[in-house]
Amino acid sequence: MQLNRRELLAGATAMALASQMGTARAAGAINYWHHFASQSEMEGLAKIIALFQAKYPGTKVTQEGIPNSEYMAKVSSAVVAGGKPDTGMVITERFADLVAMNGLVDLSARVKTWPGKSNFPDNRWKGLSQDDKIYAVPAFAFVDWMYYRADYFEQAGLSGPPKNFDVFVQAARKLTDPSKGRYAFSMRGGAGAFKYVIDVMEAFGSPIVKDGKPAIDRAAAIEAVTFYSDLFVKEKVVPPSAPNDSYRQIMEAFRTGQTAMVWHHTGSLSEISGALKQGTQFQTAPMPAGPKAQIARVAYAGNGVMKEDNIEAAWQWVSFWGEPEAAIALLEATGYFPASTAALQDPRLTSNKIYDAAVKTLDFGRLPNTFVGAAGWSENVVNPAFQSVLTGQSKPADAVDRMIKGLDAAMR
Amino acid sequence: MDTGSHLPKIGMIAELSETRYWIYLLLLPSLVIILLVIAYPTIYGMAISFREMRLTRPGLTGWVGFKHYLVMIDDPVFWVALKNTVLWVTFAVVLELGLGFIAATALNRNVPGTGIFAVLILVPYFLPNVVAGHMWALLLDPRLGVINDILVRIGILSSYKAWFADPNTALAATIFVEAWHGFPFFALLLLAGLKGIPQDLYKAAAVDGAGPIAQFRLITVPMLKSVIAAAVILRVISLVNSPDLLLILTGGGPGDATQVLSLYAFQTAYKDFNFGYASALSVVMFVILMVFAYAYIRLSKIGQE
Amino acid sequence: MAATRRSRRMAADILTYFVLVSMSLFCIGPIVWMFLTSLKLEADIVTQTMQYIPSRITFQNYVAIWTQSSFPVLIGNSFIVTLITVVVCLATGTLAAYAFSRYTFRGRNTLMLGYLVVRMFPAVMMIIPLYVVLRSVGLIDSRIGLALAYTSFLLPLFVWMLKGFFDAAPKELESAARIDGSTRFGAMLWIVIPLARNGLVASSVFIAIAAWNEFLFALMLTTGQGSRTWPVGLQLMVGEFQLPWGVLAAGGILSILPVMLMFALVQRVMVQGLTAGAIKG
Repeated sequence: MQLNRRELLAGATAMALASQMGTARAAGAINYWHHFASQSEMEGLAKIIALFQAKYPGTKVTQEGIPNSEYMAKVSSAVVAGGKPDTGMVITERFADLVAMNGLVDLSARVKTWPGKSNFPDNRWKGLSQDDKIYAVPAFAFVDWMYYRADYFEQAGLSGPPKNFDVFVQAARKLTDPSKGRYAFSMRGGAGAFKYVIDVMEAFGSPIVKDGKPAIDRAAAIEAVTFYSDLFVKEKVVPPSAPNDSYRQIMEAFRTGQTAMVWHHTGSLSEISGALKQGTQFQTAPMPAGPKAQIARVAYAGNGVMKEDNIEAAWQWVSFWGEPEAAIALLEATGYFPASTAALQDPRLTSNKIYDAAVKTLDFGRLPNTFVGAAGWSENVVNPAFQSVLTGQSKPADAVDRMIKGLDAAMR
Repeated sequence: MDTGSHLPKIGMIAELSETRYWIYLLLLPSLVIILLVIAYPTIYGMAISFREMRLTRPGLTGWVGFKHYLVMIDDPVFWVALKNTVLWVTFAVVLELGLGFIAATALNRNVPGTGIFAVLILVPYFLPNVVAGHMWALLLDPRLGVINDILVRIGILSSYKAWFADPNTALAATIFVEAWHGFPFFALLLLAGLKGIPQDLYKAAAVDGAGPIAQFRLITVPMLKSVIAAAVILRVISLVNSPDLLLILTGGGPGDATQVLSLYAFQTAYKDFNFGYASALSVVMFVILMVFAYAYIRLSKIGQE
Repeated sequence: MAATRRSRRMAADILTYFVLVSMSLFCIGPIVWMFLTSLKLEADIVTQTMQYIPSRITFQNYVAIWTQSSFPVLIGNSFIVTLITVVVCLATGTLAAYAFSRYTFRGRNTLMLGYLVVRMFPAVMMIIPLYVVLRSVGLIDSRIGLALAYTSFLLPLFVWMLKGFFDAAPKELESAARIDGSTRFGAMLWIVIPLARNGLVASSVFIAIAAWNEFLFALMLTTGQGSRTWPVGLQLMVGEFQLPWGVLAAGGILSILPVMLMFALVQRVMVQGLTAGAIKG
């Protein structure tokens, strides 16, 4: 088919216009993967999206919820097979793995020139950076703390929440009464148990990783695991269901009044508040200190850019979460501790005494361990090793040896 | 029965059916689908087992031959998972076959109301693994579990038991849940099979003096042989390959008490991001199933019918 | 003589009813509990004293699952995907099952085993290459694509199950029909397939249930804006910090209703259907 010059020009112009429109449309639409699920989280997200669209009417955000337990499965598949989203939610525990598989785009240059950076001191960025390169913008934080039944403590004649492990055990003995179905502490022995095992190990002075190399102190670790598992095995201040108790079970134990103390973080405040009365029934306190250190994690979570196709729009979206209005919207809906210092001044936080423990924890809290393979080692080695100590199938020394061996293999 | 009159209507296909290519025409459509969609992923999946493919270490990829298989031999978790897989699948299938047979026989008698009973009895299979898992996790919960409550009220238990926290009961409890969930599979297939046995055979046998047990042994079981074989092999394959139920109920714990190969492979792939090793585990599962299917078919001489 | 036969039959009937009733209770009991749970408020589920009959009833859980995860859309997607899967399996699988059952040919056993073999590799490892395959033909996040994925691993299941039923139908019938002048195709269509009706329905029911309930492939191969199916939507309710029992139970009940309905419609064919003994000629 012969084209004359006019047709050719017309065709070329049309194609150029179309491709421009195409790119303009593409730049105006990004998708966002997250693992928010509860009603309050979705409300918060919806509000943030609405605020965002108001500020940037040219950019359309499509949010895609992924079940939290399958989030990394889907992201890693997308990395390998294609289909990465423009932006995605990033939590500290998953950060190292995400960067290692080239799942996140380096945002350092943009962050440096970002006006909103003033609201985010350096420690906010540490958990979301690697080799001095920033890969995600923090939005909210989960601050470890302890919930305790103020009424049970009063009944047992205890003056206040335990400040260190020794007092913790003494208090636990007083708070336990199996005949009444009452136990002192909701131990997490099922999914997610590894977090507290690792925390207790560090509280006894054993680091996990130093300078990128495995560095577990065997003696201290054995002491730690012995102490922690003895709560279940020897002292029996923990419900017998502990080896299979994961998040929902330890919370249910606390909510139904079976236990007097539970270790978790600020993310669960709304759930506990929904079931128990703040102040009279439950209160919060900083995590008790171990013999060598007081360990509480401050884990900043945020959003990262996963592919560069629409980087302008993607950057708009992930940085928007750092704006005070977005942080307040999220705080309002979910009660999640904001990462932005501007939002920390909000009266909702400053006037609510329940947050005092979290604010205090910010002073000594540290980041979770982030190294490539942390997630796999924690879930597939530490968890079953600890569980077998709980069930009496192995001794703490064996469990620690298994953990050390697994860590070496993971970091090789 | 005059089938010749139908000939003009579907003439061409009918003519085709007389040719020597008839068999291949019958097989072609399904073969095409299977080859196009599943063959490549399966071969790719197996090929990965000979490579190092750790997502979080992009630089490490490459051909490693049998390395993963050698590591597997020294991996204690692998052997525990293998043992548990065999135990779990065997007990579950035996239970399901037994319960299924009982249900099918009862339904086959076609007493009034059988239709309703059929729907009720087959309901457990209608639930997806995920829902059944969560449901039984609640039913057997050490704090909120109604079954625990009932057992305490009756007096069998003194207090709520944490079924999945005790390594002695965890595996058995999961086998029970799986049996509840899966026996309708057998019930349904066996029932349809029973329906296909002509009543005349039983009548003839009764005339010859055979009692109900002899009839069962000499008529029912042989006639159902191929249905039973198909059902068993298919169910074994499902159970070996599917980690859903255990993922929800126990996650493999406590301490590897309920760890099975499918779950181990899943965790290796999506928590460790070690696809090479996960693939090697999958290949081992595959080989086990191949050997089982081949042996079963050979031993029961199904293929020769 | 007649009296003992009648009393023996009555004893058998009583035993049958006993078995049927106890099995039904065993099966439906947990479901009833799930239904009761779906009507309770969260505070009445996570509580120290067990509530058998809910003291307060709420439909909030059903509302939540219906609106929060756009359940109607998900159910619609599941329905279409299941329908496509069943239709394709019926069309292609019946022919293959018949061929395996009726004819011996070179490579028959190998091919039969081959059909089974493709099912033996765990889905876990196949997701990524399958994603790549579907992406190359533009079938990611489409109902047809998902149905195709389901068909490919459910087809062997269908063929093997159906073959078992075809095997049970006596070969003499086709020989008789062919002597009467029928073609192979005619014999297949008009003699054997109606005979194996029960088997066809049973096998289709299995495929439908499997497709309806499938989770992993649906999660990986679809998005929320496209053809996401209901199991993924339900799992989304299980968040990091909450497991809303009531909502989950409501979701479970809602999802089981269409399946029960479908089964109630076809159970007559299976449970009370034609017995092969009707063929006498």
